[in-house]
Amino acid sequence: MAYEYQAVHALDGTIGAIAERRANHLSVHRTTAVAMVLAVPGQTAEAAGILLSSGEFEARFSGPGEWLVLSEVHAPETLAAELSVRLGDFAFVVDQSHGRVVLTLSGPDAARILANGIAVDLHADAFPVGRAANVLCSHLSINLARTGNESFDLVVMRSFAEALVDDLKVMARSHDLSVDFATR
Amino acid sequence: MASLISCPHCGTRPKEEFFIRGDATPVRPALMAAEEVWHDYVHLRANPRGRIREHWQHVAGCRRWLVVERDNFTHEVFGVTDAAKAGEGAR
Amino acid sequence: MTAYRLASGGLVDRSHGIRFTFDGATLTGHAGDTLASALLANDTLLVGRSFKYHRPRGIVTAGPSEPNGLVTIGSGVRRDPNTRATVAELYDGLEARSQNRWPSLAYDIGAVNNLMSRFLSAGFYYKTFMWPAAFWEKVYEPLIRRAAGLGRTDLPRDPDSYEKSWAHCDLLVVGSGPAGLSAALVAARSGLRVILAEQDFVFGGALLSEAMPIGGEPAYVFARRVVEELQSSPNVTLLPRTTVFGWYDDNVFGAVERVQKGVAVVDATKPVERMWRIVAKHAILATGAEERPLVFGGNDRPGILTASAVSTYANRFGVAAGESVTVFTNGASGYRTARDLAAQGVEIAALIDSRPASGDIAPAGVRLLRGGAIVDTKGRHRVRAVVADRGGFEELIACDAVAMSGGWSPVIHLACQRGGKPVWSEALQAFMAPDVGSGLVMAGAAAGHYLLSECFDDGARKASAVVEAVGRSVSGVEQPVIGEEADPSFTALWHVPGAKSKAFVDFQNDVHTKDLGLAVREGFGHVEHAKRYTTGGMATDQGKLGNINAIGILAGMRGVSPAEVGTTTFRPFYTPVSFGAMAGASIGEHAMPTRRSPLHGWAARNGAVFIDAGLWYRSSWFPKAVEKSWRESVDREVRNVRENAGLCDVSTLGKIEVFGPDAAEFLNRLYCNPVLKLPVGKARYGLMLREDGMVYDDGTVSRLGDEHFFVTTTTAMASGVLSHMEFAAQVLWPDLRVRFLSVSDQWAQMSIAGPKARTILQAVVEDDISNASFPFLAAREVRLKGNLKARLFRISFSGELAYELAVPAGHGEAVADALMRAGASHGICAYGVETLNVLRLEKGHVTHAELDGRVTPDDAGLGRMMGTSKADFIGKRLSTRFGLTAADRMQLVGLKSVEPEKDMRAGAHLLKDGVKPSTINDQGWVSSTCFSPTLGGHIALAFLKSGRERYGEKIVVWDQLRGVETFAEVCDPVFVDPENTKLMA
Ligand SMILES: [Zn+2]
Repeated sequence: MAYEYQAVHALDGTIGAIAERRANHLSVHRTTAVAMVLAVPGQTAEAAGILLSSGEFEARFSGPGEWLVLSEVHAPETLAAELSVRLGDFAFVVDQSHGRVVLTLSGPDAARILANGIAVDLHADAFPVGRAANVLCSHLSINLARTGNESFDLVVMRSFAEALVDDLKVMARSHDLSVDFATR
Repeated sequence: MASLISCPHCGTRPKEEFFIRGDATPVRPALMAAEEVWHDYVHLRANPRGRIREHWQHVAGCRRWLVVERDNFTHEVFGVTDAAKAGEGAR
Repeated sequence: MTAYRLASGGLVDRSHGIRFTFDGATLTGHAGDTLASALLANDTLLVGRSFKYHRPRGIVTAGPSEPNGLVTIGSGVRRDPNTRATVAELYDGLEARSQNRWPSLAYDIGAVNNLMSRFLSAGFYYKTFMWPAAFWEKVYEPLIRRAAGLGRTDLPRDPDSYEKSWAHCDLLVVGSGPAGLSAALVAARSGLRVILAEQDFVFGGALLSEAMPIGGEPAYVFARRVVEELQSSPNVTLLPRTTVFGWYDDNVFGAVERVQKGVAVVDATKPVERMWRIVAKHAILATGAEERPLVFGGNDRPGILTASAVSTYANRFGVAAGESVTVFTNGASGYRTARDLAAQGVEIAALIDSRPASGDIAPAGVRLLRGGAIVDTKGRHRVRAVVADRGGFEELIACDAVAMSGGWSPVIHLACQRGGKPVWSEALQAFMAPDVGSGLVMAGAAAGHYLLSECFDDGARKASAVVEAVGRSVSGVEQPVIGEEADPSFTALWHVPGAKSKAFVDFQNDVHTKDLGLAVREGFGHVEHAKRYTTGGMATDQGKLGNINAIGILAGMRGVSPAEVGTTTFRPFYTPVSFGAMAGASIGEHAMPTRRSPLHGWAARNGAVFIDAGLWYRSSWFPKAVEKSWRESVDREVRNVRENAGLCDVSTLGKIEVFGPDAAEFLNRLYCNPVLKLPVGKARYGLMLREDGMVYDDGTVSRLGDEHFFVTTTTAMASGVLSHMEFAAQVLWPDLRVRFLSVSDQWAQMSIAGPKARTILQAVVEDDISNASFPFLAAREVRLKGNLKARLFRISFSGELAYELAVPAGHGEAVADALMRAGASHGICAYGVETLNVLRLEKGHVTHAELDGRVTPDDAGLGRMMGTSKADFIGKRLSTRFGLTAADRMQLVGLKSVEPEKDMRAGAHLLKDGVKPSTINDQGWVSSTCFSPTLGGHIALAFLKSGRERYGEKIVVWDQLRGVETFAEVCDPVFVDPENTKLMA
């Protein structure tokens, strides 16, 4: 008997390939390396220094001494180990590649769509590119990051991914939104 | 409709992002403190009108426990502090 | 003898006719009309019946305060009752119906109330429906409900969608009249983020009905130019059709935008209404002022409008309220309306000024009666004449409309919604907004500035202050040139003495002067009492029009100033807001989010029936085609697990990873049982208490490393336990060096239970998991064949040889499939939470059905777990208090039905045989029940007084809900394998 464990995405079977991309687009990332980094008490500055100085990691603020780290460079299987090595005694690292689902909302109405569920001021002056925060979106807590003038990453707990996409579709009802898995 | 709380870590957020536990003034007694002291700590709350200190947790944000000092009549918020920091001051 | 459309003028598009119906009659209006202006243009004056007396009523205002013109718009599922015709935008095919009449508006049987009106005085309901009490539910309530209420609503589901949005700005301007536009323009030009909200479907406010030119051009053209500039500013958001209805803490404003309320065809991709929550650093209320009606005999007859409404209909909509209009005024406004009408060629029957003398000048040729008053009106469904009184001499003046002006009240509602009380101004004879700080200021007429030039100046001045407050510099202030304006003063006239018929103070609630007199005489003269006693100021208009006169009249009767009478409390909402807008998108399946287990797809493929468990969908049981009931499926699953093996999804358990040098110490203080000495690679059952000594939650604690633990919580308490741990770490013991994280979603977790569990699991797991190398309570990382890292825990909730296997969530389905394949030849089955429940109940394991917050560890039979020698833990101190250690506490026991086929239900109480059910005789209660296939009968877990001493006793299970009594034998709660031989095998 052969043992292969094909991974299933939380949104498999709930979104289908779309015919055409609309003005606003919600892109669902199939595999993203995600880890949570928790600074060892008293070592927050050291951990932050290592995390933020490396271009291999995108460290997004989650709470004091806590970052949600995404990486395009490292694979889901290796990110946590790589971070553990780099951070040494300064932080605890927990693999969350399967625990979170990463979505990118982009388009001219992206901020307006999010305003239908998020109370944070998303004006570019108030929430500039590079800013990240945990916020309530409709009923769910997500990590929101501005990745461009008209694009945001939303990171959600896996079990709530379908509910979040449903909510985003409703929030974008009047804004011409397409949803699909990312191609890259 | 809305009240806004300024989380020291996350910025201004609507009250929907928070869980309110209640009075932040009782301090957990030492184990061998008198039963009455424990009884006060666990069960008794004064419920005053005016300026109060409460424990709020930013559950949808940084998940930190905060001490919100506010007026429960006018809803004016005087200050929001991380509970761990607020505790340092008290000790 | 009619109201009619003027030959020219107005901002309606005369080239575009719009057909609509009112009570079935097809009528025509124009684009730009409100329903009210179109009805007037069609000479439809009678639009409703009053609430109590069913008196014929017509349009009184041209704005949101309208008390009479409430109609039902739309039909079928799109039926909006109580819509104010004065703000409803006309559209093609609009269907409007009058309300509160039967069988028709013209012949309303309820009008008999009018003839009986002396029995329907203020306080009528309180006095009449007092007794006998037994009459309330059967007689009075249905009677009142049939008679009361205005429009009716429908039960079918609303087909339209609603939206809720957040908005943020430096400055919110409410109202787009001269002050609002001026303020918005200054702020916009100075670079502020501005939101301008206007309840009307056209921006401009009073400028739309202003006859005086501004900067050399018609006022509405000026307004249009300003709005165009604002529209082109990227930092400005214009919100038309948007009523700001509430001012909340921290300068958050609630507003409702009627996105598609005035349209013929609803676009399904857009909401019909949008609820805005606007976070404003500053706000300027430029909400204008409300003209007061005059309280004179017969003042409620259709055709009697406020003077400003008559002007608005003429100037903005090109509609004359009548062919011959009597103007009745106590100040300059009546003169202005007379000028507006004269300019449009409308005949003025008379201009009656209650003041004996004034500097105001009547238009040429208009008959002016100084020091006069209207004391009565004639006509049936519309006014035909007024009875004017001057110096005791009465005169009948024929006319078909009356324009009345009782002076002005600034619209200050929003400013008073957070507890600030209005302040009486003797000079303006009006209540003004209190000083509520710099976050919210009034401008223009809302601040008591009634001249256009003052409004422009005031708006700009207030906006400039905001610009400076947010740290920018003011630019682009330029004020338009306006001609000379007349002094807008008036002399308060709260009611006209000598009324010959009912003089109404509150049109919507049919409150007249005599009702107020009665209220004062019967001791209800306080303004809040008078409101409840007379119903004045209630219902949809909340006294916007009538309250000020009521206050003036009460003041007069009590011989005090209106300042002393005060106002009733201002609360949101300024105008009614639909439930749809308040719910937004949070309806139906969007009311709550749902959570899906990573094994959902596996369970669905195996035929699971799902059940809602909190936010989760959990697999409940897995029926086979031949099985006719859930019990058949569950019985089979239970037997199969006990004989072979089963696989169950337990991914919904809360999972928390704990790190740090003080992790062990931290957990030792959280759980009542000892954790410090738990060896690496081992799991332990864990019980958490509350500080009051009661059980909070249970789960498992596994030590994966010296400073690394993995703990599980119950599904129900997962989020509560996480918060509890965060409170302990951050508030109680912030100096402990510990960090933790919920990893619930990272892992798919499955329980493999049954005598063949090891054999099946070993086929998939690379590591040796024999009893010797992986004994009971072993917990460590293993490698699955095919090179997948997983975590394996040898823990059991069923009493069987059992494991919990955790794999990264995305691989969960594939691993479960592999286990099912590996177990096929060993008879493995999928089982759900129903079977899980039977298995745990047969083994005497507790869940939150037992741990309901009133149960101590000892009650649940877990007293031996308490680490009494530990230095401290949450709940330690109070668990020793008197009462929690009493000998007659209810203790967990098992129950077996004496007749095995007779079932028991949770919630039933326990009684000694032969005693009457009573609180004193209560011996305990049943917490969980099931049919046990293993024992072949019904069993239960229950709490029984001193239960552990009473095994063998027969007891009555008294189920009053079903009216059933069952006889049961008390026994040890562990029904199967009390020696744990299966578990340790
Ligand atoms: Zn926060």
